[in-house]
Amino acid sequence: MSDQEYSGLTGRIVKYTIHNSADVYRLGFWVGLVSFIMITLFPFYWLLVLAVTPDNQLYQMGFVPENFNIGVFATVVQEYPLHHYIFNSILIATITVIVCITLGSLAGYAFGRVDFPGKGPLLVLLLVISYFPGIAFLIPLFELLTGSLSILGTPTPDLYNTPWGMVFPFTMLSLPITIFILTTFYSQIPDGLEDAARVEGTTRLGALFRVIMPLSAPGVVTAAIIVFIGVYREFFFSFIMTDGSPENWAVLVYGILNFQQQHTQMYNMMAAASLIGIIPIAVLVIIAQEHIVRGLTAGGLKE
Amino acid sequence: MGEVNLTDVRKEYEDVIAVEGMNLTIEDGEFVTLVGPSGCGKSTTLETISGLTTPTSGTIEIAGKEVTNKPPKDRNIAMVFQNIALFPHMTVYENISFGLRLRDFDQEEIDRRVEDAVEIVQLEGMLDRSPDELSGGQQQRVGIARAIVRQPDVFLMDEPLANLDAKLRVAMRTEIQRLQKELGITSVYVTHDQEEAMTMSDRIAIINDGELQQCSPPLECYNRPVNTFVAQFIGSPSMNLFNGQVAGDELDVSDFSAEFDTTTTPLQQGDPVTVGIRPEDIYLADDADSIAHPSRPVTVTVDVLEPVGDQTYAYLLSETDGETTELLMSADPDKDINEGDSIEVVFSRDDVHVFDGRTGDAITHSLVDATAVVDKAAVEGEA
Repeated sequence: MSDQEYSGLTGRIVKYTIHNSADVYRLGFWVGLVSFIMITLFPFYWLLVLAVTPDNQLYQMGFVPENFNIGVFATVVQEYPLHHYIFNSILIATITVIVCITLGSLAGYAFGRVDFPGKGPLLVLLLVISYFPGIAFLIPLFELLTGSLSILGTPTPDLYNTPWGMVFPFTMLSLPITIFILTTFYSQIPDGLEDAARVEGTTRLGALFRVIMPLSAPGVVTAAIIVFIGVYREFFFSFIMTDGSPENWAVLVYGILNFQQQHTQMYNMMAAASLIGIIPIAVLVIIAQEHIVRGLTAGGLKE
Repeated sequence: MGEVNLTDVRKEYEDVIAVEGMNLTIEDGEFVTLVGPSGCGKSTTLETISGLTTPTSGTIEIAGKEVTNKPPKDRNIAMVFQNIALFPHMTVYENISFGLRLRDFDQEEIDRRVEDAVEIVQLEGMLDRSPDELSGGQQQRVGIARAIVRQPDVFLMDEPLANLDAKLRVAMRTEIQRLQKELGITSVYVTHDQEEAMTMSDRIAIINDGELQQCSPPLECYNRPVNTFVAQFIGSPSMNLFNGQVAGDELDVSDFSAEFDTTTTPLQQGDPVTVGIRPEDIYLADDADSIAHPSRPVTVTVDVLEPVGDQTYAYLLSETDGETTELLMSADPDKDINEGDSIEVVFSRDDVHVFDGRTGDAITHSLVDATAVVDKAAVEGEA
C-alpha cells in the first residue's frame, strides 16, 4: 500500500492509530476509566454541593457551589438525633448479619457438603424465592409481625416498633443469597480437612465453625457485607415497621426522610445526613475490601 | 489398650456394597495393613473404624468398647490422611495441639506433649510456621505429630505416603515403622501398594471386592496365599498362573506337566486346577542341580528381557499345539540369555502352588511337602 491512501487529516489519524495501537489502547483505557469514575462519583459530588449550599440558594444551585455552609453537617448531628438513627441501622444490620450467617452456614453446609435426596430441587426453590420482590410479602408479613394473625389459637407477637420487626423480614430476604454464597464456598473445602477435624475431636458442627468457616473467610465476609449493606440501605420494611422515631428503632433512611416534612423540604439537611450515613459503610468496605475481592473472584476459580 | 475388633461389618452405598462380612481382629500394639486394588473397600473399612462412616450392619469395638455408632471424637483414635489435611489457617503448633485444645487440657500439659511429639517426628523449631511453608515430607510429619500427640488407642493411616515422591516415601516408611514400634500404638494402615504392605506390617489384610481374603503375616501371605487373588496381588512381579488339570500323578498344564506325590497331595483325578509358580522359582535347566525337587525341563522362547539390576525379568513363551503360554521368570542377570533364544527351564516343585480351578482357593503350596497342604477344615473353621 502506498502512503497516499492515508492523505488528509482522517488518513493521518488512521495511519497513526494503526502504527501506534498501544497509544490508542491507553487512550481508550483512560477514557473508560475517567467516565466510569465520573458516573460513579458524580452523585456524591452532587450531594456534597447540595449539602453545602445554603437553603435559600438551593433553587439556583449550579455545578460549582457558590456559598459554603459547612455548618449544615454540625446542625444535622447536633439538632437532629442522626447518631441514634445510624446506631439503630447498624444494630439492626448487625443482628441480621449474625442471624443470616449462622443460619446460612448451617444451610450452606448441608447444601455444599452433604448429599441428601431433593437437594437440587430445594436449591432451585430457594433461588425462585429469592427473586420474589419483598413487597409481595408485605401484607401477610405486616399482619404476622404486628400480632394480627393467630396461629393455632396463639396470636403472633406484636413486633411493630421493635428491631425484630425489621430483622425478621430482612433475614428472610437476605438468607437465600447468603446460602448461595456460603454453599459455593463450603463445598470447596476439601473433605479431608473436615474428616481431620472430626477425628481430632469436633462434631460436624464443630468442624463447620472451627475449620470450614475460617477457611471460607472471604466468602463469609462477602456474604456478611452484602447482607449488611442490603439492610443498611433498605427502606421499605424500615418505613412500614416503625413509626419513625429513633426511640422506636427507626433507621437511618427513615431519619433522612424525616427532614422532609409537611411544608418544608430540607434538601441540604437530607444531603448532609446522607453523606454522614455513608461513612459507616465506607469504613466497613475499606476494612474488608481485600476479603471481598477474594470472595467475589474465588467463586469462579476452581483449583 | 487398643484392640480393634470388626465383626461382620457391612457397608452398603446406594447401589454398591463396599464392604461385606468383614471380620478382623487387630491385637493391641499390632501394625495391620489393609491392602487391595483401588475400590476394594479398604478405605471404607478404615472409615468405619474411624467413625467417619457408620457401617450398614455389624459391630466395631475399640479397646474393648463397642463404638459402632459413636462419632469419631468419642473413639480415641487418630488419623493420618493421604492429602495430609493440615488446617491451613493454623500454625504447626496450632495444628498439633488442635485435638488437645478441644479436650481442654491445661496449657502446660499441651506444651509438654506438643514438644515431645515434635521431638519424635524431628520438627523442632518449626512450631510457628504455617503448613504451606513446609515441604511435603515435613507436612506429613506434622500430620503424624498431630496424631501421636493425643496418645490415641488406635492410629489410623489412609495412604499417608501416596502423595510423597518415591525417595521420601521409602524414608518415611521406615520412619513410621520405627515410630510405631517405639510407641506401641495399635495401627491400621491402608495402602494399595503391596510392597509397602509387605515391608511395614505385622500382618497384612488383603481385601478384594469388599471381602477380606487373607489376614496373615507378610511372608505367610507370600508363601501360603489362600487363593489366586492373594497369590497374584502379593509379590512383585506377580505369580504365574496356569489352568490345568489332574491326570494320574501329574498336574497337566497345556505346555508342561509336573509330577506330584499322590500320598501327600490330595488332588482328585480330572479336577480342574490353577497352578501358580512365582517367577523366582523358575530356573534355567542348567541349574537344576541346585534345587531339591526340580520339574522336568520345559522348552521356551525368550520374548522380552527386563533387566532391573539385581535380577532380570525374562518373559518366556512356550508354544504347544499352536497355543502360546506366557510365563515370567526372574533370572540371574549374569546368565547369558538373549531375546529370541530358545532355552530350557525347570521350576522347583517344592514351591508350586495349586489352587482349586473353580473357586480359586489354595489346595497346596508344594507338590512334595505334605505340610504345605491346606487344611480345609481349619480354613473353614476360621471363616
